[in-house]
Amino acid sequence: MSYTNALHDEAHHHDNPTGWRRWLFSTNHKDIGTLYLLFALTMLFMGGASAMLIRAELFQPGIQLLDPDLYNNLVTNHALLMIFGAVMPAAAGLANWMIPLMIGAPDMALPRMNNLSFWILPAAGTMLILSFVVPFFPGGGSQINTGWTLYPPLSVQVGMSMDFLIFAIHLLGISSVLASINIIVTLLNMRAPGMTLMQMPIFCWTWLVTAFLLILVVPVLAGGVTMLLFDRHFGTSFFDAAGGGDPVLFQHLFWFFGHPEVYVLLLPSIGVLSHIIPTFARKPLFGYKSMVGAMIAVGTIGMVVWAHHQYTIGMSLGAVSYFMIGTIIISIPVGLMIFNFIATMWRGAMTFETPMLFAVAIILMFTFGGLSGVMLAVVPADMQYHDSMFVVAHFHYVLMPGAVFGLFAGVFYWLPKWTGHMYDERLGKIFFWINVTGFNLTFFPQHFLGLAGMPRRIIDYNVMFTEFNAISSVGAMIFGFSHLLLLYIIIKTIRGGEPATNRVWEGAKGLEWEVASPPPFHTWETPPLIRQEQTS
Amino acid sequence: MNPRNDQLRHKNRRLAWILGGFALLVLITSFPFWQNIFKVLGEAVR
Ligand code: HEM
Ligand SMILES: [Cu+2]
Repeated sequence: MSYTNALHDEAHHHDNPTGWRRWLFSTNHKDIGTLYLLFALTMLFMGGASAMLIRAELFQPGIQLLDPDLYNNLVTNHALLMIFGAVMPAAAGLANWMIPLMIGAPDMALPRMNNLSFWILPAAGTMLILSFVVPFFPGGGSQINTGWTLYPPLSVQVGMSMDFLIFAIHLLGISSVLASINIIVTLLNMRAPGMTLMQMPIFCWTWLVTAFLLILVVPVLAGGVTMLLFDRHFGTSFFDAAGGGDPVLFQHLFWFFGHPEVYVLLLPSIGVLSHIIPTFARKPLFGYKSMVGAMIAVGTIGMVVWAHHQYTIGMSLGAVSYFMIGTIIISIPVGLMIFNFIATMWRGAMTFETPMLFAVAIILMFTFGGLSGVMLAVVPADMQYHDSMFVVAHFHYVLMPGAVFGLFAGVFYWLPKWTGHMYDERLGKIFFWINVTGFNLTFFPQHFLGLAGMPRRIIDYNVMFTEFNAISSVGAMIFGFSHLLLLYIIIKTIRGGEPATNRVWEGAKGLEWEVASPPPFHTWETPPLIRQEQTS
Repeated sequence: MNPRNDQLRHKNRRLAWILGGFALLVLITSFPFWQNIFKVLGEAVR
């Protein structure tokens, strides 16, 4: 399958530009990976700032700081910045850095397209931020008060900022489809000779499934928002009942994208955990094959359960039953991954460095979020929970551990490899505890708020919800500010610290640990020899 | 660094185009996009 006599003319000279050219024109997977990660970190702080404004407003009942449309625009912006700006680019950054190192490839398969996929992002991010800024100017129209789901008819009525947002989504979509194509081609064509698909490190597998999911669903979102654009400006009525259209059609298109998207956010982090847990338990991953099977099952079933986000639109009994059963079935492969992690730790010689602390916390908290997911999957129950703070609590308990903390863990795990320096373990642990405590303080009370009837995406609330909201807001401030410590740790590690060995962690296995820390600009120009026990 | 082997590069580009074409196919087939544009155009002409 892989190439045989490739890559031997090493006399060929390399072009290593310096200064800004190095980054703008980069075709190097490590540099592009770094760019992705820096972009994601920036967006994490912007998305975090909007979240903290939201929680500041919700600290007390009544309206104190924001006006309702601005509040809802912050809710919209927060979600979009975090999903498209922070989590997806960060996962792509890890993919760029680690996939070629892990499979023994000299670079991504299509290096110039790689450059394009990244450099579309700053443009898209600018459009996204403009959609927020434009309404503050005279004649700028109204704020985007729809939430990230952009349901019509409201999204057709919003002012010109919605057009900025639609354009931003187009750009983000192009970027992620190009990146996905690149990753699939790399994984299928560039593996070191002798490495079969079933010997690929699990992180590569999670990204292979993720990339296919993205190619299958992102174009549908792009189509959906394009139709929105046509409804807004060109007199079509795809989503306008008065013109023979149907607003619910948009919901189907959106969630056909939106539900697989949650697995796009989840899977790369599951891949990271599949490396961290074996390393710090000093045991091979339990159930490699079942892991691969489970993620393919999650990807496949995940494509056909989207309408669990729309139980309240009045579907037929047959349709809701189908979507309910399908949704509940997904918890089986998801649970299997969790059990594999636990079995990997079982009787392992475990140590608890920061990445492993995150890994253990992720297992606990993600499982909790999965359980509230199963509650939401049950139609009669969801009729009560839908659009309440309970849903907000659910998806933060799956997304924060399942995506964000997994990425944090990956950053701590691989930072010594990238920079050649060990991060400050004591600070890392302090960050972990503040971060995880803040997270639980913020989102645990929201379960109670939701069950008691507090709706989501509303600026004001009944006084009976005061106490839990105050706790949640205090937690949010702790949680939010704790990320300054993360930033400090990262900067400190980049600037210096105890030198890292090649292997970095005692129990680490895989090709990425065979190269120096930091790796030279070009690695695996001569593909490594794969011995059978070297993989997974 | 670019994969220097021509055969491999060719293989990579071919697979990329196939996947890209597939993404495009998803974009244009999964919803009543063209149908409605034709409807609007038809009404505009009439
Ligand atoms: C055991 C598996 C899961 C089940 C059964 C489940 C079920 C559900 C259901 C039924 C809803 C809709 C609730 C409503 O709006 O009334 C929902 C919302 C949501 N879920 Fe899950 N879920 C699961 C896992 C996940 C995972 C792994 C993620 C992401 C990593 C996730 C992210 C979300 C998000 C973001 C929303 C809210 C979207 C929105 O309305 O803005 N869920 N989930
Ligand atoms: Cu879903």
